[in-house]
Amino acid sequence: MIRALSNNISFLRTTLYISTFVILVVGALTYRSIVDATNSSEMITHTYKVNVELEQLLSNLNDAETGQRGYIITKDSVFIGPYIERRSKINNSFAELKVLTEDNPILKEDLIEINRLINERLLAFQTSYQSLPKGDIKDPNFISNFRNGKVLMDSIKHKIRGAIQVQNNLLEQRQSKYKSDLIATPLLLFSLLLCSLILMYVAYNSIYDNIKKLKSKNEELEIFKESTNQSEIVSKHGTWTFNARKNVYTYSDNLYRLLGEQPQSFEPTIENFLKYVHPDDVEQLSKQVDQMRENIELPYIYYRVIHKNGNIKHLKAYGRSIVNDDDEIILLGTTADITDEIMSFRALEERNMELERNNKELSSFNYVASHDLQEPLRKIQTFLSRLEDEEAEKLSPKGLKYISRIQNAASRMRLLIDDLLQFSRSNKADKVFEDANINLLLEAAKQDLAEVISAENAIITSDNFPSINVIPFQIQQLFVNLLGNAIKYKAEERTPKIEITHQIVEAEKEESIKKPKKSFYHKIVFTDNGIGFDNEYADQIFVLFSRLHNKDQYSGTGIGLSICKKIVENHRGYITATGQLGVGATFTIYLPIE
Amino acid sequence: MTLFFKFDFNSICQIVLQQILTDNNIKYKIVGFGEVEVLEKLSKDKLSQLQTALDQYQIEIVENQKSILVQKIKDTITDMVFNEDTIVNVKSSVYLAEALGHSYGYLSNLFSEVTYTSIENFIILQKIEFAKQLIIKQNLSLTEIAFRLNYSSVAHLSTQFKNTTGITPSAFQRIIAKRRELNQQNTN
Amino acid sequence: MQEDYINITLADDDEDDRLFFTDAFDEIKITTRVSTFNDGVYLMDYLNSEDALLPNVLFLDLNMPRKSGLECLKEIKQNPKFKDIAITIYSTSASEEDIENTFVQGANIYIKKPSDFKTLKKVLSEVVTINWQYHTNSMNKENFLLRF
Repeated sequence: MIRALSNNISFLRTTLYISTFVILVVGALTYRSIVDATNSSEMITHTYKVNVELEQLLSNLNDAETGQRGYIITKDSVFIGPYIERRSKINNSFAELKVLTEDNPILKEDLIEINRLINERLLAFQTSYQSLPKGDIKDPNFISNFRNGKVLMDSIKHKIRGAIQVQNNLLEQRQSKYKSDLIATPLLLFSLLLCSLILMYVAYNSIYDNIKKLKSKNEELEIFKESTNQSEIVSKHGTWTFNARKNVYTYSDNLYRLLGEQPQSFEPTIENFLKYVHPDDVEQLSKQVDQMRENIELPYIYYRVIHKNGNIKHLKAYGRSIVNDDDEIILLGTTADITDEIMSFRALEERNMELERNNKELSSFNYVASHDLQEPLRKIQTFLSRLEDEEAEKLSPKGLKYISRIQNAASRMRLLIDDLLQFSRSNKADKVFEDANINLLLEAAKQDLAEVISAENAIITSDNFPSINVIPFQIQQLFVNLLGNAIKYKAEERTPKIEITHQIVEAEKEESIKKPKKSFYHKIVFTDNGIGFDNEYADQIFVLFSRLHNKDQYSGTGIGLSICKKIVENHRGYITATGQLGVGATFTIYLPIE
Repeated sequence: MTLFFKFDFNSICQIVLQQILTDNNIKYKIVGFGEVEVLEKLSKDKLSQLQTALDQYQIEIVENQKSILVQKIKDTITDMVFNEDTIVNVKSSVYLAEALGHSYGYLSNLFSEVTYTSIENFIILQKIEFAKQLIIKQNLSLTEIAFRLNYSSVAHLSTQFKNTTGITPSAFQRIIAKRRELNQQNTN
Repeated sequence: MQEDYINITLADDDEDDRLFFTDAFDEIKITTRVSTFNDGVYLMDYLNSEDALLPNVLFLDLNMPRKSGLECLKEIKQNPKFKDIAITIYSTSASEEDIENTFVQGANIYIKKPSDFKTLKKVLSEVVTINWQYHTNSMNKENFLLRF
């Protein structure tokens, strides 16, 4: 937008230059053509004057000749008067012509020639006039003189007529030039004016366009400003600028509100601002402001302000510098009221700590309970075993039966305590993840179960696993529990077969993965051919202490699969189970790929 | 003149024995008849030196004979286990009987009597001991070790390893590695 | 020389456990001399005394007042004087990691206290036997790890 406008501005400037130039040219041309026209008309007048003078000269000559002839014929001296009068007039005419023909060398020469001829003719008049009284007109001398006069007169007339002709030609020439001048000038003027009109029109259009654009931009800016104001109010932040060179601040309206004041109610200076800052934060904030002035940059800073009513607010500010059109560095800053966040964060933190405390208490209670219970139980069992080994013959059959019952109960208690202990251990959060060879962990799990595996002739097949980032002990425990489970719940009539497969899957394509954190997962599937279970209980089996079978049938504690779930959750994975009564069960584990 | 003596063989032997033990600079304590507690560790040389000294009185170190044989059995087993040929190709009972010139039954009984453990167990112990060395020193894989020690499978090796030591081979490997790391930290 | 007894020492704060322990060794055919201490401090005081008869095998309960078994283990491992003692952790229970950790810290044997007397006798007898094997066959003590 700014670029388009500046392009327009340079266009307008060019238009102005061109228009000014055109108008100057038009002015100059008009002046010149007027001068030309004046010159031309002066020249024409001049030519006319010369012509008139020449005609006059000719007519004076004719009058002089007529007078002479009349005198000769009548010998009356009355005719001599006009002759003499004409003669002075001829002289006057010559003087006049001489002035007029100063600028025309050809005419000047002609005039000298005419003057010579006229002088000769006047001399001839004189001669013929003087010789007449003594002789007769038939006197041959007189006749030859007279004839001579006529020849002279004719050549004079001829000369004058020639000069007049020349003058007429000149006149014609001048007139046609004058005419063409008169026609060309307005055409040029008109076309130039047309050009500048077009230019002005284009310029007007462009200005009009720009004004329209500016107006709409102005409206947008107004809207933007208003929405900024609103968003500042809603999101509890204010903006400010700092001109480093001029050392001048501007504060947005809401910045005043953040301080608990009316907009623009005091002069935006740092001194005024610091009056609101919490005394404990003043020193640090002024230090940071000094640094800001130096570096023209403001990293995130946090401080508190105190409203006049005593409310304490937590503010957070940040500034970034820009360079304006005048090459001044301006720091654009934002200050936000984060009191609510801090309060809710504190509340959350408190709740978290409380939860953590509870959790710790619970898990340490669980751990201590199960761990410390082991010791007396072990002693009970050991004493029982010694009683049975060493004192058996001293006991009645009833006593022996009771001992065996006590032993059963103690064994059951041991199972529960062991599982509970294991569960509380899998709860501990501070486990270390490492890239582990899963094949080895599975092998170790099989080692742990070597006795039952060989007792039940269980067949375990497994894919080759890649190394996975896990908590090795827990994954081994997971395998032990799943394998143990599969063997424990084997079908009477079949040797247990457990198939373990591995593949890498995309989270999106697996239904069981809800809200995945990663896009790819290791999918490990344990499939057995045991007694299976009704799918109705698929979720329930992972719940602590939940059991699908009577404990007389199967010796489970209802903890094993809860441990599995816990372990998988510790790995941010998923575990699901599906089953079919009498056919088998399938446990699927998803572990995220980092 | 004929003199008659009443002598106590026990006392004489005791005195002779004491004399010889003292001559050989051995610290001892009489425990009972024919039983002396040696209060220091005797080297093989010193033992044979003592035996030679006792020979002129035709006194024999009885238990020593047994323990020498047991020691021979142990040495033979160790040789057998650590030797690539014998471990693969030889039945241990036959090998031991031939090497030591006694019936396997005799050796087996003697061994159990002296050590409270069977020859079979000792062979397993030695094999696992060797497996440990291979794991630590040569960084061999379990497959290679199983092959080297003539186990039918890795699983068999792992099972025997676990049964003997209570630890899986990988856990063993891990523990040794961490121990070394710890020692290095302590020395640094 | 087989009549030479093996020196066994136990540090355990539990009276019953000390009783089981000494009773079990009484019934084992290997000749042993068993001495017991009521906690880690008594044990270390004795071991550090000049005329102490160092045990061949030392049994440490982990959970003891004043000085735990793990603390004793670390102290013993730092003193070259005790390098020939085979150290057995003798504890009620621990996680796999805790067990591995005691091995890493230098324990040779880990025994989870059995819950019947027969097993206890068997285990203790095996410990002494195998320790004897290591002792008499100059086997690499670094490799000596055992767990029951």
